[in-house]
Amino acid sequence: MTVKMFRVGERIALGYRRRSVLIWLVMTAAILSLAAATLMLGKLGLSPADFVDILSGEASTATEFVLQRVRGPRVLIAIMAGAAFGLSGALFQNVTRNPLGSPDVLGLAAGAGAGVAAASLLPWAIPTAVGALAGAGIAIGLVIVSTGSGLSSTSKVIISGIAVAAIATAVTQFVVTATLRDEASRLTAYLVGSLNSRDIGQVGLIAATLVLAFPVILWLSPRLELMELGDELTTSLGGKAAATRTQAILVSVVLAAMAVAVAGPIAFVALMSPHAARMLTRTSGPNLVGSALTGALLMVLADLAVQQLPLVEDLPVGIITAGFGGVFLGYLLLTEFRKGQS
Amino acid sequence: MRRAIILAALVLALAVTCLTSLFLGSRPNGISDVVAALSSTGDAYLTSVVDSRIPRTVMGAIVGAGLAVSGTLIQGITRNPLGEPGILGIGVGASAAVVTGTALLGALGATSTMFFALIGAVLAVLVVLALGGRSSARGIVPLILAGAVISAVLYAYINAMVLLKPTVFDSYRYWMVGSLAGVELAQLSQVAVPLVLGIVLALGIGQGLNALALGDETAISLGFRIGQTRLIGIIAAALLAAAATAIAGPISFIGLAVPHIIRAMFGDDFRWRIPAAVVGGALALVAADILARVLIRPQELMVGIVTAFIGAPFLLAAVRRGAVMK
Repeated sequence: MTVKMFRVGERIALGYRRRSVLIWLVMTAAILSLAAATLMLGKLGLSPADFVDILSGEASTATEFVLQRVRGPRVLIAIMAGAAFGLSGALFQNVTRNPLGSPDVLGLAAGAGAGVAAASLLPWAIPTAVGALAGAGIAIGLVIVSTGSGLSSTSKVIISGIAVAAIATAVTQFVVTATLRDEASRLTAYLVGSLNSRDIGQVGLIAATLVLAFPVILWLSPRLELMELGDELTTSLGGKAAATRTQAILVSVVLAAMAVAVAGPIAFVALMSPHAARMLTRTSGPNLVGSALTGALLMVLADLAVQQLPLVEDLPVGIITAGFGGVFLGYLLLTEFRKGQS
Repeated sequence: MRRAIILAALVLALAVTCLTSLFLGSRPNGISDVVAALSSTGDAYLTSVVDSRIPRTVMGAIVGAGLAVSGTLIQGITRNPLGEPGILGIGVGASAAVVTGTALLGALGATSTMFFALIGAVLAVLVVLALGGRSSARGIVPLILAGAVISAVLYAYINAMVLLKPTVFDSYRYWMVGSLAGVELAQLSQVAVPLVLGIVLALGIGQGLNALALGDETAISLGFRIGQTRLIGIIAAALLAAAATAIAGPISFIGLAVPHIIRAMFGDDFRWRIPAAVVGGALALVAADILARVLIRPQELMVGIVTAFIGAPFLLAAVRRGAVMK
């Protein structure tokens, strides 16, 4: 299998394999067709003729309303938040060398969710994004402090993450009980993440995050590949392992926090994406593109399911990902964890 | 002697806390009000307020005791300070079974609730043990991870059921987060058998748990039947956790935090730790329930939120102290 290089100037070069590129293309096509299906199916679905009208600028008001207010923002957020979760998980798992080190297992997503909820309590208006970032930062800080050895020990990180997630969930429940009384559906949406009634401003937030993160990730990517060799080799080859790790974790925290800010603490997409991507493309290495695409695919799929499948209709999308993600985590537990790494 | 004094002090503290629990709530009352209400000479509204606090105080004490003993047993059996019925998914398992029963059969009576809770708790234990493997060989992490997996899936399931059938589950919201609001003394008769059985079994294996703590081989060479102790311990832990969940829903971290504090006070001897956990668990949950009632007055929090908030830091502290090897 030949590795080709995608070069931007002298310093940036991304290795890729033909098989990976093929799979990326197939995944992109799948995401686009699922997104189209999301727009077209159901009561308010758009017909192919409507698409033609939209492209030629002659759409009816009703069609425009559906596209711009109802289905459009939702499907865009599903794709972009999914990509952000996938990237965040891939970055985390890479630099912590921890197959379970993802924002959801670390309690980071729950922390960001708690930050969003807590921000709504404050008397002066704080943007959701700031609340999410603060919550995620506090959560990861707590995990790092409590393990006493950073993020490298899988066991400690997992157990700290469970504790931090429990605290964050309690905070969210506290806020929601204190403000919303006990509306079960709102509470669940806050706790598991939902894509109902998203607006175009949230689309802008997650889009801006991805656009800003893109060059940083492009710049980090070769450093991450180098880190695959281990800290000592990286250092002897002139890399800076500790600095790269900190940078990657920072980017990862921001991505996860912004995804939570627009979609809620959706469980396990960040955990599943890198693993699923690795299985699909059969490559080792950071696999950032594959993880982002897998994340987007998972989210669009879950969102389409809650919109159209009879049994799960109208549930928050986070319930679906938690259910499937939990099973996937169980599978990982049975295979990887038993292989003897700890 | 020292331990007897501490235990007596705990009992005293429990008595004081239970009395306090009658006074404090979303509507505070003076002492004279409560006395009047208890002697049924007071104003009718006040009497009903105080009356409603009696069952939740009593049941809170019982649930707390059950959870703490369950946690102590699991910690003894797995030889790990992080064993906890909530973390291992036992409470959620019981909840999920009750929710399933309710969805299939409509509102459940107290007896069938207990029945479903027990089945769910036992199934959860079995699945967690199967997924997490033999605990002694690989430490507690696979077990806890298996518990997290079970919890994630079952929480998703419970959430989905409650949202899909809002009418059936209108009064069942506490199956997501434990709560003592609305418990009745009548429930006691249905959970009395598993509770008493669980406590008696637990008290009976104190010596065996002490031997287990020395390691399998030492325990065997001393003539203890460790398989038997483990089995009885697991059964008792499941009975107690199921009974507690059947009354109040899944309440996490009481079973973690209380045994930790008790161990710090009483040392390693399980013959002291189990009775002390009964008192300490009761004390902790009644106190948490008081907090749940007064924190956001005039509304109430669910007590499971308070226990998670106070109890989870114990887990962080345990990790920090190195309770998790590797």
